[in-house]
Amino acid sequence: MAALTLETLDIINPDLYVQRGYPYEEWALLRKEAPVFRYVRPGVEPFWAITKHADLVNVSRQPDLFKSSQFLFVTQDEPGSPLPDEAVLRQLLNMNPPEHGEYRRAVNQRFTPRAVQQLKEQIERITTEVLDDLVGREECDFVTEVSAKLPLAVIAEMFGIPRADWAMMFRLSNAMIGPADPEYGGSATIKENLERARMEFFQYFNQLCEDRRKNPRDDLASALANGKVYGEPLPPFELLSYFALLIIAGNETTRNATTGGLHALISHPAQWERLKRDPSLAPKAAEEIVRWTSPVIQFTRIATADAVLGGQQLHEGDVLALFYPSAARDEDVFEEPSAFDIGRYPNPHVSFGIGEHFCLGANLARLELQVMFRQLAERMEFVELAGPTRRMRSSFVGGIKHMPIRYRIRARP
Amino acid sequence: MRVVVDHNLCEGNGRCAEVAPQVFELRDDDRSYVLVESPPQDLRAKIQLATTLCPRQAIRLIED
Repeated sequence: MAALTLETLDIINPDLYVQRGYPYEEWALLRKEAPVFRYVRPGVEPFWAITKHADLVNVSRQPDLFKSSQFLFVTQDEPGSPLPDEAVLRQLLNMNPPEHGEYRRAVNQRFTPRAVQQLKEQIERITTEVLDDLVGREECDFVTEVSAKLPLAVIAEMFGIPRADWAMMFRLSNAMIGPADPEYGGSATIKENLERARMEFFQYFNQLCEDRRKNPRDDLASALANGKVYGEPLPPFELLSYFALLIIAGNETTRNATTGGLHALISHPAQWERLKRDPSLAPKAAEEIVRWTSPVIQFTRIATADAVLGGQQLHEGDVLALFYPSAARDEDVFEEPSAFDIGRYPNPHVSFGIGEHFCLGANLARLELQVMFRQLAERMEFVELAGPTRRMRSSFVGGIKHMPIRYRIRARP
Repeated sequence: MRVVVDHNLCEGNGRCAEVAPQVFELRDDDRSYVLVESPPQDLRAKIQLATTLCPRQAIRLIED
C-alpha cells in the first residue's frame, strides 16, 4: 500500500468512504502537518480543509467572516453533481445572520432541552415498540428494523404527520440526502432523483400547511405554516425548504449515530458490558456515540474577506470545509481520542456544530439516543454482527446503511 | 469584567447555568439571564468555561 502523503491523500471521494469508512488516518496527518490545508485535486473545487477542533470552532464563531452558502459541502465531479442551487433549497443551513436567526426563531423553542423532555414518554414508547418487534427472532438488519424507525417516528410525530404517510417520508428523505447512492437515490441520474423527490415532498407539505392554516394544532407543522419571519408568513419556497430540512436532518443523522453506536458497542465488548451493568450511563454513552460516529462529515463556509487562519493566507471567496469527525478526534482536546469510552466526561466534541448554526435538533437527538441505548442495555442480552456492514456512498453524511446482527432481545419487562 | 448574553443567539441550552449558577439563570422564556453583570475575579474560570461550552456561543466576557 502506498504511503499516505499530503499531496495524494483523498478525503472527498465517496467510494473511499464506502470501502474504508471515515479517513481517520488522513485527517490525523492533516491535523499534525497541515491543519489548514489547501486541497487541490482534479474534479474537486479547491478548498481549505479544516481538521482541528480549535480552528473549526474559530471559523464557526464568525458567521459574518465565514458565511454559509448554497455550496453546502465539497464533492467530486460526477454526472449530476454538485447539487444544483434549487436542490439545496433555501433553509437554515445556507442562511446567514440576521436572516438565519429570524428563521430559526420560528421553531427553536420547540427544540430546547425542556421542550424535548415533553416528548420523552413518546420516545420511550416508540423505542419499546420497535424493540418489541424484534423479540423472538434471531437475526435482523439493525438499520432498517431499529435505527431508521425511531428518528423518523419522532420527527413525524412532532410535525403531526399521520402514520400512513411515514413510509413515503422515509423514501423521499433517503432520496434527498443520498442521491449519489444507487440504493437510496433510485436508478436515474443524481439530478433527476433529486428533482423527483423534491416535487413529491413539496406537494405533500403544501397540502399539510393549507390544512394547518385552517385548523392549527400544537404541532411543528402548524408552527411553520403559521409562523412569521420579519412579521410576515414564511415565503412558500422557504417554508417548504424548512420542512425538508427538519425531516432530512432529523432522520439520517440520528439513524447513523444509532447504528454506529451499536457497532461501537459490539466492537468494544467491555464498554457494552459496562453499559449493561449500569444503564444510567446512557446519557454519557449517547454523547460518546455522537463523538465517535460524527455522522455529519463536513459543511463548508466561504470567506467574505481575506483572512489569516492557522498561518495560512485565505482570500475572499475561498471555500473552507470543516471536518467534524476530525475535530472529534483532536489529540489536543481529547484524552485517548481513538478510545471509545462511554463514561467520557467532559466530552467537548463539536459534532453537533457550534455557534450560529449549532444543530437545532441536538437536544432531541441526545434524548433519542439516551432512550434507545438505555433500553438496549436493559433488553438486549446478546448481540453480534451476522455479516458485513454496508456503508453509504457519501463524503457529506456518513453512516452504515445495513448492519445484519444476530441477537436476543428480552420480552418487555 | 462584564458578562453579556446575546438573547438573539441564546436558546436555553443551559450549559452556563450548570457550570456557573452564581452568574447565569435559565428562565421560563428559554433564555439565560446574567445575575451578576460585573462578577468578582474568582468566578472568571467558571465564566470562561460557560463561554466555551455554550453551544450557540452566545456569551461574551468583556474586559473593562
